[in-house]
Amino acid sequence: MPFSALREKDFVGRQEELAALTKRVVLALGGQARSAVLSGPRGMGRTELQQQLFGRLFWGQDRVAPFSYSVNPALLSAQDFSRNYLTRFLCQRLAYEKKEQALLHLDGISLTDASSLLEERGATWASGLLEQYERSSADPVDALRIALNAPYLSALATGTPVAVLIDEFHRLKGLHRGGVPDPRLAALFEEPMSSGKTPHLITGNSPELQEMAVASGLERIPLLPLGPESMSSKAQALLSAQGAAGNVPHLLFRRLGGNPWYLACVVNAACAKRTPDEKAFWNAYVGEIREGALAVSWSAVLKNFFPDLAMRRTALAAAYTIYHATEPLSLKRIAKSLALTDAQASDALQGLYLAGFIRGEFGVFRATDDRVVRDSIESLYLKEILAKSAQEQDQHFREALFTQKEDSVRFDMTIPMVREAELVVAQCLQQIGKNLQLNEDAIGQMQIAVIEACINAIEHGKGADNKIRIIVAVDSDRLSISIESAGPEFIVQETGEPFGDQGAAKASNRGWGIKLMKRFADEVTFERIPGGTRTILMKKLETPAEVRKEDAAQNE
Amino acid sequence: MSNFSLSSRSAQNVAVIMPKGYINDMGAVSLEQASEQLLGKGMDTLIVNFSNVQYINTIGISIFTGMVERTLEHNSVLCFTNMKKAHRDVFEMMGLIRHVKVFADEEDAIKFVKRKGQHDE
Repeated sequence: MPFSALREKDFVGRQEELAALTKRVVLALGGQARSAVLSGPRGMGRTELQQQLFGRLFWGQDRVAPFSYSVNPALLSAQDFSRNYLTRFLCQRLAYEKKEQALLHLDGISLTDASSLLEERGATWASGLLEQYERSSADPVDALRIALNAPYLSALATGTPVAVLIDEFHRLKGLHRGGVPDPRLAALFEEPMSSGKTPHLITGNSPELQEMAVASGLERIPLLPLGPESMSSKAQALLSAQGAAGNVPHLLFRRLGGNPWYLACVVNAACAKRTPDEKAFWNAYVGEIREGALAVSWSAVLKNFFPDLAMRRTALAAAYTIYHATEPLSLKRIAKSLALTDAQASDALQGLYLAGFIRGEFGVFRATDDRVVRDSIESLYLKEILAKSAQEQDQHFREALFTQKEDSVRFDMTIPMVREAELVVAQCLQQIGKNLQLNEDAIGQMQIAVIEACINAIEHGKGADNKIRIIVAVDSDRLSISIESAGPEFIVQETGEPFGDQGAAKASNRGWGIKLMKRFADEVTFERIPGGTRTILMKKLETPAEVRKEDAAQNE
Repeated sequence: MSNFSLSSRSAQNVAVIMPKGYINDMGAVSLEQASEQLLGKGMDTLIVNFSNVQYINTIGISIFTGMVERTLEHNSVLCFTNMKKAHRDVFEMMGLIRHVKVFADEEDAIKFVKRKGQHDE
């Protein structure tokens, strides 16, 4: 169903993105719209945003027709897919024109029924298109080409451009003829995607989209995590919808990483109590990652990438090893520590990377920044590899989560967006490090990372106040620096490349800045905040005892 | 006022460049110009002493690529000394370190140059 069940007014924290996307597709009127990938981690709200956009285009204007399609893994033969794609498009196009919502429900309609429907409604252009498709149906590739170009052909015939919204696009890498997947079939999207009258806005699993030639060249629109303010508003809306009241703990917001779907799962679980307190929210979280919707979902992703049980166990062990390593690990180290061949380790790591469980950068592998994924995988590891009981798992997570502390020291500063203002922050950081006796190497690395983050904010910040807000927070085991500025979001989360003017970014070598931040900070996250962007750099701090131990080891 | 300054000295075809402060785009351009002048004067070794470099950024470092190319074109040797660990990591990440010789300090670099000179003779 292309519409969202959520009313637009309840769509918290994404109104700016929705407005920007609407503006973007309306450019199709002048033939100037461009196709793009709506990117971001699972649960960040890409599908919901597409559905909201569909609703807004369907009901809110009559200049650009929306077409929404979610790729069905059961319909991946070229013939089945093209037929389904074409009939769905024709029905939705007609529904838009006649404002007949019922036509949107006609999924799986036969060509004959579609033909009768079009004739009945007097859509001669569409009947012509259908006839053209039927004439080409002997050759699945020709038929597919016609189906994919149907939105463009309709724009030519009627003068009304079409915004094509495709969800789960990565599944199209499985398009096949006679059971043999052929990447050239998905590449046929290139032609309709290049038309300014039929902008395609696609979503799907980002690492897999990156590997598809037809998608990797498209502009990427990042859907950033929600900041604490939007998460808090969304939590209140969810609680209120359930007739409950309470305050989600700040540290739980941080753990959920600005992911609206995670928040919805936890808040709904916590609403088993009418007035959930802090403990109830944490218990709901532990329940979710152990056996709730979050656990089921991540377990399904793991099974999807590792259908074989033995391979799944290897992948779990590899993920667990990476999550608990104090530094990024190479393939060889992982293979050695798990007694695997390089080929076995490579298969496991490739699957974990594509599933979004780990990051691979500079030839080494790190844990994903997503704490919920890490906790869910840890839970699976405890259950499936270590055979821990439910009670033992509960205890494990409670001990880890309930003993967390809030930041103990916090420095706030605001700098103007002027040349070399980043040095003021770097100097302050040095002094903070001295005052709190933090590891000098860690401070040195974070100074470089924060300089890059500030330069990005200065380059991309186009806000009214021309200011950058910086918060340095230090607690017992971590140093976090948050850099906030007004202006458009500029980062594509999974590639680290600046979004928007990528050519200019490459010319000025700014792509390196993000890579460098990721190299020197243990976690780098980008959050969407009202009217701007927040970059958070986090570095784990070694205790003085650990540093002394390491020094002693080096001196031996 | 700029947060970057530069000084240099030379003897027997070996030049030592001492950047100071913040190597950003402007700083790196100054460095590149200074190195070109020194190479033009026939220096066969350039030693960049980083002991007074406080901060660097990636735009600045990317301009070093030009300096490395120019040194290679002149068949000269480029040496870096007194680098902080974090600064060295950045150069390494950007793939520049493999084109230069890195020494703990200036003295080590000079020793290397002398040994190389004797070997070449």
